[in-house]
Amino acid sequence: MSTHSQDSEAPHSNGLPTTKDIVFVLFLCAVFVAVIWLGKFNFQQGQHIEDAKHNGEAWVAWLTEAGTKRMDDGFPHKACAGGVKPEKPADGSAPTGKTPGTWGACLEYLQSASELKGLVNSFFNQPLHVVEKCDKSDLSTRGAISFNNLVATPAGSAVPLVVNPLKDDDAIDGKLQIRVIVCDKGGYPIKVGELEF
Amino acid sequence: MENNTPNQNEPQFRTQYIDSIDVAELLGQEQKAEISRDLPMRKWLYSWLLDPNIPGNKQKQFDKWLGILIVANLFSLVFEQVPAIFEPNKQAFHYFDVFSVIVFTIEYALRFYLAPEDEEFKKKRNARLGFVTSPFAIIDFLAVAPFYLQAFLPVDLRVLRSLRLLRILKLVRIIVPAYHEFSRLNEGRTFRQRMHALVFPSRFSGGLHELFDTFIAIWVLLSVASVILESVESIHYILNLQFVVLDSIAVAIFTLEYCMRIYSCVEDPKYQGAIAGRFNQAKSPSTFIDFLAIVPFYLEVFLHHVLDLRFLRIFRLARLLKLTRNSDATAVLFRVIAREWPVMSAASFIMGLLLILTASMGYLLEHEAQPEKFENIPQSIYWAVITLASVGYGDISPVTPWGRAMTSILALLGIGIFAIPAALLASAFSDELIKDREGLKANLFKILKDGKIEAKETQFIRDEAKRLHLSVAEINALIDQVIKDKEIEENLKALPVHLIAQRPVHAIEYFKTCISEIRQIEMHMTEGEFENTAKDLDRLTASELQLWRQIQGKA
Repeated sequence: MSTHSQDSEAPHSNGLPTTKDIVFVLFLCAVFVAVIWLGKFNFQQGQHIEDAKHNGEAWVAWLTEAGTKRMDDGFPHKACAGGVKPEKPADGSAPTGKTPGTWGACLEYLQSASELKGLVNSFFNQPLHVVEKCDKSDLSTRGAISFNNLVATPAGSAVPLVVNPLKDDDAIDGKLQIRVIVCDKGGYPIKVGELEF
Repeated sequence: MENNTPNQNEPQFRTQYIDSIDVAELLGQEQKAEISRDLPMRKWLYSWLLDPNIPGNKQKQFDKWLGILIVANLFSLVFEQVPAIFEPNKQAFHYFDVFSVIVFTIEYALRFYLAPEDEEFKKKRNARLGFVTSPFAIIDFLAVAPFYLQAFLPVDLRVLRSLRLLRILKLVRIIVPAYHEFSRLNEGRTFRQRMHALVFPSRFSGGLHELFDTFIAIWVLLSVASVILESVESIHYILNLQFVVLDSIAVAIFTLEYCMRIYSCVEDPKYQGAIAGRFNQAKSPSTFIDFLAIVPFYLEVFLHHVLDLRFLRIFRLARLLKLTRNSDATAVLFRVIAREWPVMSAASFIMGLLLILTASMGYLLEHEAQPEKFENIPQSIYWAVITLASVGYGDISPVTPWGRAMTSILALLGIGIFAIPAALLASAFSDELIKDREGLKANLFKILKDGKIEAKETQFIRDEAKRLHLSVAEINALIDQVIKDKEIEENLKALPVHLIAQRPVHAIEYFKTCISEIRQIEMHMTEGEFENTAKDLDRLTASELQLWRQIQGKA
């Protein structure tokens, strides 16, 4: 019993490939090209994810920077300024996402008038859109951005943080702990960063 | 298609004789180099470090360590392109670069100094000039020159870094001789046979196959490391693209390897037949593992829009199993499991039976007291397994006296029940090894019957020693034992009968010898002389005379 395979003995051959061998080598080349092509496709998908992450990082950078100044007087981006309580509408209903002092109003301003407005979701080549949460069953969330509101629980709790999606009508008059998430090619969340806003 | 003419290119081994067997040489193990201390310094150094024709010197180790350093340089160059890795470890990368340049410079200086001793250059008018202008030396020079260039010339460092890629070319010093050896071994063989020799171990494979295996093993380890690191969120975040590239390259390599194996496997008589042979090869465990290693990539690429196939990524870890292709111990383990399967399945059946019975008992005794924990029998099975296996997480535990009593018995039973398959496997594994060694001993007996070990037999012993992980000392002991047995067999008559009777094989040999000698008696006497004398003198009984006739073939 040998560890070596029972390789056949050498027939007389000039060592040159036969037609079958050439066909196989061509097949091998085709397989190689196909794998490289698939690899390139994966790479492009990876690049879209990188773009999405860069979008998220841009948001993190802006929100972090704004978070240090937005409570100050003269903060230029009024829609996102702190200390502004969302006013209840005259009919007594709850404030909507359009009401100043809410996250929705700030978001609308940032997407329309700030330096973040030009960001593109490269998966669809369309302006970056915000979703409540990444959803693997909804591939339209690919490349989108999502914001979570992190609320600290009382000391001694089993869970240190409660994580909720940041909704349009959430008030932003006080400090917020925000987690920025982008959705990958499968609609799975990628955490980009956490910041104080 | 193929004939059975012996191949002239087979590895050549010296025929060894029974009275002077050199087991170290037989097993192709490192021998102690015979290099005289009286040699001039340059010759002595060359003999130890660079001479490929002196067995047992340090030339192979020297080349091996240089090869490792070259591969490490290749990785360092790749990782330098990743800012997330390079920036925090800039200093370490620099020190490694300096270390590599020092080693490569010493190597270059050594080769330059020792060039007059090298067969390739010593015939030239100026051996060292011959060395400096040789292709290998130019590559060696280019591998270190950029580093020194930056000290004297204001060259862009990025250009210098890319020039360090030239160090990879140093690998040709290892690949080219292996390729030449491969070409020599496969001279006159077909393209497919060459491919077979490259991807499967055979006597035509040589060093190039080992390099091929090493190359695959490096990619297996790289790709498994990347799968593990991908699960670390912070690393995956930074190196996502690099992981994508690495996985694509790994899949390309493994796919080509898979195709090459399937195409060339028909060269093995076990897998003859263009379709059936290849199908059988594809079904074999090692090739199936190769298939599992690449299939998640394709499924994910083609079906990720339809199905969530992220879970398949974990199957990329199956690539680690590719390394078992080269492990004979794994093959022995599979053989042992296959052999002991009936007993193991019986033990598993008893285990399953006990599990269900105890789970049902647990449900019966504890359900009323703890309906939320012993809600139903399937939930109780979890408790029974954890208790039987002596794990005892404690998340579910009995509270009733009868439940506790049963748990105590169950825990004690568990020790025995779970020990049975383990003991069975251990003993079967040991039996298998003993059987293999006995088999080798029997083969050695046959091999040594003619008093010599020929080339083919040397290859067989070498393969078996490798498969059974036997050292030179162990093979030596086996050969000694075989020689002793052989001597005993040859000198059976010198032994007392009770010793011969201890071994049935010896007893049979002794019986045959006796019969043969009785037949020879008749041959040396005139016909009928024995029988007549026995009858006349009444020296033999009727049955003894009958037996004599039977032995002589007269009855």
